[in-house]
Amino acid sequence: MSNRMARILTTIFVLAVVLLPIYWLVSTSLKSNREITQEGTLYPHVPTLDNYVRLFTEKQFGSYLTNSLVVTFFSVAVALIVGAMGAYAIARFRLPFAAERKVGLFLLTLRIIPPVVILIPVYLLMLSLGLLDSWLGLIATYTAFNVTFCVWMMESFFREIPVDLEEAAMVDGDSRFGAFRRITLPLAAPGLAATAIFAVLVTFNEFLFALALTATPRAMTMPRGTATLIGRIDTDWASMAAAGVIGALPIVFFALLVQRHLVRGLTMGAVK
Amino acid sequence: MRTGTQARKYRLQGAGLDLALPYLMLAPGLTIVLGILVYPLWDGLRASTRAYRYGSPVADVGLQNYLHLWSDAQFLNALWVTVKFVALSVSFEAVLGFALALFCLHEFRGIRLLRTVLIIPMVITPVVVAIVFRLIYASDAGMLTALCKAMGGGGVQILGNPLNAFIGLVALDVWEWTPLMFLILLAGLQSLPHEPFEAARVDGAGAWRVFADLTFPMMRPVLAVAIVLRTIDAFGTFDQVFVLTRGGPGEATRLISIYGYDTAFKFQQTGYAAALFVTIGLVVLALAFSAIRLLRRIDAS
Repeated sequence: MSNRMARILTTIFVLAVVLLPIYWLVSTSLKSNREITQEGTLYPHVPTLDNYVRLFTEKQFGSYLTNSLVVTFFSVAVALIVGAMGAYAIARFRLPFAAERKVGLFLLTLRIIPPVVILIPVYLLMLSLGLLDSWLGLIATYTAFNVTFCVWMMESFFREIPVDLEEAAMVDGDSRFGAFRRITLPLAAPGLAATAIFAVLVTFNEFLFALALTATPRAMTMPRGTATLIGRIDTDWASMAAAGVIGALPIVFFALLVQRHLVRGLTMGAVK
Repeated sequence: MRTGTQARKYRLQGAGLDLALPYLMLAPGLTIVLGILVYPLWDGLRASTRAYRYGSPVADVGLQNYLHLWSDAQFLNALWVTVKFVALSVSFEAVLGFALALFCLHEFRGIRLLRTVLIIPMVITPVVVAIVFRLIYASDAGMLTALCKAMGGGGVQILGNPLNAFIGLVALDVWEWTPLMFLILLAGLQSLPHEPFEAARVDGAGAWRVFADLTFPMMRPVLAVAIVLRTIDAFGTFDQVFVLTRGGPGEATRLISIYGYDTAFKFQQTGYAAALFVTIGLVVLALAFSAIRLLRRIDAS
């Protein structure tokens, strides 16, 4: 009995610690600034959606959202296609001097280095290419980051699929690439999905490079736009809270939707 | 047998275009990575040996930028703050995550809800996590102040006080990343073999003995991997600090990434900042490779 009580209490405590901060964010976003600073209420006494309306009418949050969706979609899609091919080559072929394994290790090393390390040269590169403050500049950067871990994650998924199935397809007249496309790729679909989900999460949430590479609502992504807003309106708590909700909503919704795959992606490599 | 494998190998490698296939499949990915990650990495190395004025290189200074780092009080402070931040955050996350994973190992009602809810902190955009905590800590509109007042107390100062701001930053990181520790460790616990635990139960071993003699030693590799992953990640923390405190008050929460960013973009010392980042990159790589070697040793024993 006491064991059960302890379990219930711990569960409630953990839920409270995780959810209270989020409750406060949402609740603040529904108050007016007057209610926030002067009355200090614990829940919105006069709920209002004004803060949200303002974000879209005055603060260009529509553009931020569009930019985020476009940039995330293209950089993840390209990285997945390119990464799947690379991962397959590393998983299946034995090249001279074990080149394929060296490539794999090389990509993993790149993945370990904190992205901030190449921030300055990437900025200079995009500056010289005239790609600052553009979708293309962000897409190129994010694609490259995504490729490093897409290859690394998908390689292990391809390894799990027996070679015999491809061989059978090739005996039946398929080309090597045909066997990959028609047999292996569909079988690896759950793994590809887990990889894609993780890539979407990381890309949508990225802030550092968006901060350095974009400057106007033309290309600013959601996190970048949100941070800019905060810089300007130091004590406009209501707008800040609403921006937080809008900024987090798409990705939290997405994450809860694909929860099962997400856990697999997040713990991948650490636990088999 | 031998001819069999050779035939099989031949069939797999194919002929004609198929022989070039591995290279063709690797080429696009490698091209992108070489152009957008490796070239900048090399360019950064080059920039780190130069002095810049108004964004263009004016002189080669060799290793001077690197040497200068170690007499730069602000760099040393940022490094120290970062080490403190990483050590404290990751320790708390490991202990709490492990405790929570042990707790959730026994199936009970509500566990699915708990697991779902625990996903939220680590998927929320880090910038938004920082907003959430600014709304908690704010001295006028903050949740802590509101709670204190509701219980009859006064307002609280968090982000204006150096020590409190630092603790507040650690608390943010613990809130955000303990769930990841938890997920990795829970998966690890669930994959442990059952037999030793049943034997221990038959022998009448107490809960603590089971933990100290069985669970913990068997979990050491997974625990080590989780800690290494988090440590590497925590070293590069930027977004949360940028939005929560911008490094302040004073230099209390100025992590190395923030200092590097300011050096490059605020103070326009491109070469010096490049040297700083190359140094961080080397430190993290050294950390990672020694961790991998350590793990191999644990695996072997």
